[in-house]
Amino acid sequence: MTPEQEALRDAVRSLLEKHSDVRAAIETPHGYDKDLWARLCDIGVLPIPEEYGGSGAGLAETCIALEELGRTLTPAPLLSSTIAAQALVATGDEEACGRLLPRIADGAVAALVWPWGTTEITATPVLDHPEITTATAAHVLDGTARYVLDGDEAEVLLVTDGVSVFEAGQSGVTREHTPTMDPTRRLATIRLSNAAATRLGPWKHQVRDVALAALSAEQVGAATKALELTVDHTKTRVQFGRPLASFQALKHRMADLHVLVETARSAALAATDEVSAAVAKVYCSEAFFKVAAEMVQLHGGIAITWEHDAHLYFKRAHGSAQLFGSPQDHIGRLSRFAHR
Amino acid sequence: MDLDLDAATLEFQAEVRSWLAAHVRPLSSMDTSAGFEEHRAWERELADARLSVVSWPSSFGGRDLGLLQWLIFEEEYHAAGAPGRVSQNGIFLLAPTLFSHGTPEQQARILPPMARGDEVWAQAWSEPEAGSDLASLRSTAARVDGGWLLRGQKTWSSRAAFADRAFGLFRTSAEGRHRGLTYLMFDLRADGVSVRPIAQLDGEPGFAEIFLDDVFVPDHDVIGAVGDGWRVAMSTAGNERGLSLRSPGRFVAAAGRLVELYRKNPDPALRDRVVDAWIGAQAYRLHTFGALGNPPTGPAASVTKVFWSELDVALHETALDLLGEVPGGWLDGWLFSLAGPIYAGTNEIQRNVIAERILGLPR
Repeated sequence: MTPEQEALRDAVRSLLEKHSDVRAAIETPHGYDKDLWARLCDIGVLPIPEEYGGSGAGLAETCIALEELGRTLTPAPLLSSTIAAQALVATGDEEACGRLLPRIADGAVAALVWPWGTTEITATPVLDHPEITTATAAHVLDGTARYVLDGDEAEVLLVTDGVSVFEAGQSGVTREHTPTMDPTRRLATIRLSNAAATRLGPWKHQVRDVALAALSAEQVGAATKALELTVDHTKTRVQFGRPLASFQALKHRMADLHVLVETARSAALAATDEVSAAVAKVYCSEAFFKVAAEMVQLHGGIAITWEHDAHLYFKRAHGSAQLFGSPQDHIGRLSRFAHR
Repeated sequence: MDLDLDAATLEFQAEVRSWLAAHVRPLSSMDTSAGFEEHRAWERELADARLSVVSWPSSFGGRDLGLLQWLIFEEEYHAAGAPGRVSQNGIFLLAPTLFSHGTPEQQARILPPMARGDEVWAQAWSEPEAGSDLASLRSTAARVDGGWLLRGQKTWSSRAAFADRAFGLFRTSAEGRHRGLTYLMFDLRADGVSVRPIAQLDGEPGFAEIFLDDVFVPDHDVIGAVGDGWRVAMSTAGNERGLSLRSPGRFVAAAGRLVELYRKNPDPALRDRVVDAWIGAQAYRLHTFGALGNPPTGPAASVTKVFWSELDVALHETALDLLGEVPGGWLDGWLFSLAGPIYAGTNEIQRNVIAERILGLPR
């Protein structure tokens, strides 16, 4: 980490320590703290080039911020807006970038509907459409997308059919908040029915790899914190006249979790191409899930309460593993790449 | 992962690859008398090409290359299916200790013949009553004029059946567990040494017992200060547990062979285990290359030791499950992998180290 990156990490961590209240945020209508999101945007955690009003942060900086958000499970539209901004930049549509990226940099939530899991989107070119001024780019979209990250909150809604990236208009789009197991993650069902859309440019598969790498960073942050909380608990909880942490049976379980977290961090940091991003997604999903499950077991009865945060980590671990394709899906993809 | 290698490193990689393609051939087991000499000759071939110890200073037979180039060498070496290194105890365990704690005289005297396989080293750590609790060892070194007299018994000494020399810890003072130990090197053919080979589970004598009966060691074969052997040895243990003994190249190559095996024997029920093992090897590779600027030593080496040793078992167990009754070329590797969680400090000891020294859990 460079000194600038360390300063960014410290700034985000200190902001979240002071202002992140996960329990309060998930009870709000939007599911996240808008003031906190505005402050994060001020720090400049989004990977938006300076020419488009961004801070010039790169993906590495965004991943550092995501790791911090993962630690505290703070709900915020950073992951969704990052992915949408990357898809937008990758289209090469300078007009759309100039129009939309400064808004995203200022905190307008952006979301991308993209084809992972069962999402099926069809795009049909149309000659003209009352809502669309650039006639050659006019399309109508049909289909249903489930589990779209921040899809109902998004001010900028992009859609890809796996070939092109479109900017969705207003008509023909219905969005519905879809509560899932993880209350700290905002997901939506998006229905497109003869929905007006403007084609911005080609869909680049690298955006998927960026999404997987970014999610992996968040998972590593959450897994790290879950282990820290577990270590702290076992050091202070006394039974049989000694701290739980002094029992070798428990020490070895936590030592194994440390091995997992450290190797997961390496996998997330190294996720730069199709194969390493898929490796990171599988590895970090499984690592976080293991740590969260052990967090529950090593905390004992207190972890079975609503009041304790262990269940939030456990639910985030489960939900994150499914997001953008399950480990099984990516293992299937990787089985085609495994070589040498 | 894109390593973004510079031109000189790419050239080095190409040189290693073509040299190995021209020279690698199957050798007999290094745990037989004839096979040991074949492996010694292989070390000389490597040394003649200046490939036996690429990261060492050129004055000792190396090429002055960095850790990255060494990892590249290892990847090529294992991908080519090149022979096991009979000199491994010396070049990966004793040499790092000499670089850190040896005198210039010791380095100049010991490293060049080690690099050429002219002197092959065995390790002499464990004793019958001192395994995981190594500091309880009882073999002694008694002060005499000009040196020391060794007395006692060592066991599980890898390569000792055919090696030339050995290194290990001896008690030079009865005071204190750790403080009374001294790091010494001795000649396996010296008067008073008797070596009794122990057949391993493949039937070959991969390790041995060493009996020492007043074996003279001159002062210049003490490494570091008298009584400071534990600290000196732990710098070696870090190497054995961590990166240097088990570079990712070994596991990436084995994972590749496992994938090939699956292609020839596809069993959908085992597909996910094959890919998981492959992912594990990739993760270890990414972990290692990610740690280039800050290679794991001390407690961090315990993290990699647990990881690679259990990965090695998983890779081989998956291969054996694919093969069923006829384990083919994987049996030796599987038997060898079983020792991984035991040697270099058992994984239970490593977990204690991680728990107490990294996570700060109480003893």
